[in-house]
Amino acid sequence: MPPAGLSVRNLTKRFALGATVVTAVDDVSFTVNSGEFFTMVGASGCGKTTTLRMIAGLEKPTSGAITVDGRDFMAVPPQHRNIGMVFQSYALFPHLTIFENVAYGLRPRATPRAEVDRRVAATLALLQLEPYAQRHPADLSGGQQQRVSIARALVYEPTMLLLDEPLANLDAKLRVMMRDELRALQRRLGITTLYVTHDQEEATAVSDRIAVFNHGRLIQLGTPATIYAQPQSLFVADFIGRANFLPARLDDRVSPAAGVTFGNGVRLRPALHVALPDDEAGTLAGADDCVVMIRPEHLALDASAGDIPCRVQRVQLLGGLFRYTVQADISAKTIVVETTRAPAGVAEGGAARLSIPAADAILYHR
Amino acid sequence: MPATLAVRTPDHDWGPWVLGAAVAVIAIVFLIYPLTNAMLLAFVKNGEEPGWGSLTFANFARFFTALSYQRALWNSIYSGLMATVLATVIALPMAYAVARIELPFRGLLCAMSVVPLISPPFIGAYAWIILLGRNGTITQFVHQWTGLTLPVIYGPPGVILALTLSYFPYVFLIVQGALAAADPHIEEAARMAGASRARIIRTITLPLAWPAIAASMLIVFIKAIGDFGVPSILGGEFQVLPTLIYYQIHGFFNLNAASAIAAVNVLLTLLAMMLLGWVNRKRTHATVGGTAGASSRFTSPGARAAGNFYCWLLIFIAVLPQLVIALASFAGRWPGTMLPETYTLEHYRRVGATLLQPIVNSLILAGIATAMCIAFGTVTAYASARGRMRARWALDVTIMLPFVLPGLVVGVAYLTAFNSGPLVLTGTALILVLAYFTRRVAFVFRTVAAAISQIDPRLEDASKICGASWGMTMRRVLVPLVAPAVLSGAILVFSTLIGEISATVLLYSAQWKTISIAIYELVLGDQLAEASAIGTITTLMTLVLVLLAGRLAGKNMADLFR
Repeated sequence: MPPAGLSVRNLTKRFALGATVVTAVDDVSFTVNSGEFFTMVGASGCGKTTTLRMIAGLEKPTSGAITVDGRDFMAVPPQHRNIGMVFQSYALFPHLTIFENVAYGLRPRATPRAEVDRRVAATLALLQLEPYAQRHPADLSGGQQQRVSIARALVYEPTMLLLDEPLANLDAKLRVMMRDELRALQRRLGITTLYVTHDQEEATAVSDRIAVFNHGRLIQLGTPATIYAQPQSLFVADFIGRANFLPARLDDRVSPAAGVTFGNGVRLRPALHVALPDDEAGTLAGADDCVVMIRPEHLALDASAGDIPCRVQRVQLLGGLFRYTVQADISAKTIVVETTRAPAGVAEGGAARLSIPAADAILYHR
Repeated sequence: MPATLAVRTPDHDWGPWVLGAAVAVIAIVFLIYPLTNAMLLAFVKNGEEPGWGSLTFANFARFFTALSYQRALWNSIYSGLMATVLATVIALPMAYAVARIELPFRGLLCAMSVVPLISPPFIGAYAWIILLGRNGTITQFVHQWTGLTLPVIYGPPGVILALTLSYFPYVFLIVQGALAAADPHIEEAARMAGASRARIIRTITLPLAWPAIAASMLIVFIKAIGDFGVPSILGGEFQVLPTLIYYQIHGFFNLNAASAIAAVNVLLTLLAMMLLGWVNRKRTHATVGGTAGASSRFTSPGARAAGNFYCWLLIFIAVLPQLVIALASFAGRWPGTMLPETYTLEHYRRVGATLLQPIVNSLILAGIATAMCIAFGTVTAYASARGRMRARWALDVTIMLPFVLPGLVVGVAYLTAFNSGPLVLTGTALILVLAYFTRRVAFVFRTVAAAISQIDPRLEDASKICGASWGMTMRRVLVPLVAPAVLSGAILVFSTLIGEISATVLLYSAQWKTISIAIYELVLGDQLAEASAIGTITTLMTLVLVLLAGRLAGKNMADLFR
C-alpha cells in the first residue's frame, strides 16, 4: 500500500475530570506528507499522545477532522484504519510466541497460511529477530521486545506507522541505537510515520519535521533546524536545546530593529526579532521590556576580548564540550557558554570577557 | 501483493451490546427482582395480596411486641459481636507472629488456616457436639479426671465458639497480608529512632494495620450474623435471625414475616457493609507498600518458640473439628473415650448405599451454578473493569450484595419471587441453581475483575490497531489471559457450593436433597457417624479443589481469601 498523507484539522479533545472540563487537545491542525517522519514533542500532559490516539481511532475527538489521502477517517473504527502502532509498554501479547505476536495482524486480513509464514519470516529478518520466533515476550530483553512490537506493526504493510514514546523504556545507550535504527528502517520502507516523544533531542535527531506541543496546543511546526534556529516563542527556545535569556530594553519601542540596551549599558542589534505570542508577552512588565535569547555555543568567552566583563563560576567538561557558567552584570541569572576549545587564560573563579554576536541573537518583544 | 483488510460495514460490533443486554436482563430477573420483591412483601400482611391498601408495618411491629423476635435480634447482634471480638483477639497474635517472626512452614500455616473457611461451618458445629456435647469426649474426660461438669455446649457458648473458630482465619489472613505488605522501612525508621519493639507495635504496626483489622472484623461480623448452620445445630433455644426466618417458613410458611426478619437482617448487614466500604477507602491510603524486601523478622529462640507454639496450637484447635469428624467417620465404638475403641468402614458403606444421591445432586447443582457464574461473572467483570459506563457502581452493588447477604435472606427472596406469579420455580432444581448462582457469582466477578485490572489495556488497543474485531480481541487476547483467574474463581464457587446450607434449607425439595441437607438431617437424627462420613468426603473434595484453584491461579491458597 502506498504511504499515506495525513491531514488533521481543528482537532479538539475535551473530557470531564470530576466537575472541571479539561481540554487535552486544543484546536490542533497539521498535515503529514506521504513518507514523512513527523514527530510530536512536548512535556507530559501536553496533548501529543491524545492526538496520536485520536489519529489511531482509540480516542474519539470532541471536534475536528482527520483525513487520510482525502478520505474521512473519523467514521472508520481503529481495526479498519490499516495503521501500525507501537506502544510505550510495547503491549506484546504475553501468552503468544513472537511468531504469533507478529502474525496477529495478518489473521483479520485473511492472509493464506503460506503467505503468513513468508511475511512473518521476512519481517522478523528485517528486525533481526529470527532466532526468537518461538519464544515468548517475557524471554526477550527490552530492546528485543521493542523490535517485536515494531515487527507486529509493520507486517501487514500499514499505510501509516504511529509510535507512542517507543524508546522511553530503554536505557540511554540502547535508546540512541534504536532511534537511529528506527530512522533507517523508516527511510528504507518509506512509510509515513508519526512519532511521539517528550525527549527533544530524540525528536530533533530523527524527524523530518517536528510539532512542538504545550498545554494541548501545537505552538510551532517546522524542520528541526528551523525550530532550533528560529523558535517563535520563549517556550520553544527553552524546550528545544539550551538557551540563555537576557532581559533588556528596546531602544525604540516602535521599531525593534533599532536594537536593545542591557542593564549595564551594553547595546546590541539582534539579527532576528520575534513578536511574542499573547500568553508570553504578558510576562514582560513594561512596553519596552524585551528578552534576548542566545544559544550557549554562540557566545564567545575570552580572557581579554569582549565588551561584557564577567566572572567564571564553574567550568565543566562534558564529553568533548567545555561548559562555562559565568556571572555578568547584564543578567541576574548565570549565563552558560559552551565551546569545544577552552579559551586560554580563563579559569574557574577568575575574570573573563563575554561577547554576544548579534547575528545569532534573537530578540523577543511584545 | 500487500494484505488488505476485508471490506466490512464500518464499526458495528454488536457483540458488546447483545452481551450487555443479556447481562442486564439476568441481573434484573434473578438479582434485583427477588430482593426488591422480598423487601416489598415485608410490608404486606400475611395472606394478603400486595397493594397500596395492604401496606403495613405489622411484620416489623413484632420486633417491638414479640419476645422471640427481640431475643433473636439481640442474640444475632450479641453472638456476631462476641464472635468478631474473640476471632480478632485470637487471630491478631498469629498474624503478627507469621508476619514478623522467623517461623518454619509459614506457607503451610497460611494454607491450613483456610481449612475452617472452606469446610461448611455446620460440619465444625457438630464436631463440637462430639467433643463437648453431653457425652462428648472432652466433657467425659474432664468429668472423669476432675469431677467437674462442663457447661452445656448448646446455646450461646457453643454458637460463639464455633463461629469464632470458623471465621477467625479472615482476620488472620487479611491482617497478616497487610503486615507482610507494609513498607518495612517505616518500622526500621522507628527502630533507628530508638523505639522498643513493644513501642513499635503500639505506635506504628497496629495503627498502620488498623484499616485491615477493621475490614476483617467487619467481614467476620457479616459472616457470623448470616450463619444458619451453626446456630441451628448448636443453638438449642438460642434463636438468631436466620434460624427465626427458618422457623417462620418451616413452621408457618409465613413469607411476609420471614421477609420482615430478612429485611432486618439485611439492614444489619448493610450497616456493616457501609462501614466496610468506609474502612476500605481509608485502607487504600494506609497500605502503600511494594518496596522491595520484607520486614526484618524476630529470630531469637524465645520468640520463635512462642510463635510456633501459639500458631500451631491455634491451627490445631481450628482444624480439630475436621480431624474429629474424620476420626468419627471411621469410629466403631466411641463411648466418650479419648479415641474410639474400634474402627470400621461401615459408615462409608452406608453412605455409599443410601446417601449417594445427595452427593450426586450437590455436584450437579453446584456444577450448573458454577457454569452460570463463569459466564455471567466474567462478562460483568469485564464491563466493570474496562467499561466507561456511569452505572458501574450499580453493577458492583448488584453483584456484591447477594454475596454478603445471609443465605437465608437470598432463600426468602427466591421463595417469595418464584413461589407464584409469572415464574414459578419452587420445588425445582433450577431455583437452587439460581440461588447458588446469585450467592456466588461475586467470587468469579472479583477474581476476574482483579485479573483484568492487571492486564495492560494497551493490549486491547494493539489488537484493534492490528485489525482485529472485538470478537477476535476477546477470543485471542483477553480470554486466554484471564482464563486462570476464571478457573480459580470457578473452583472456589464450586467447592463452597458443595456444602451450601443456608439458602438450600429453604429451597430444596425431596428429589433435590443436597449433601448439606443430608448431613443436617443426620445430625438432627443423632446419626453423627454417618454425618461424619459424608462430611469428611465433602471437606476432602473441597480441599482438593481449592488446592487446585490456588495452583491454577499461581497463588497461595490463602491469597484466594484475602
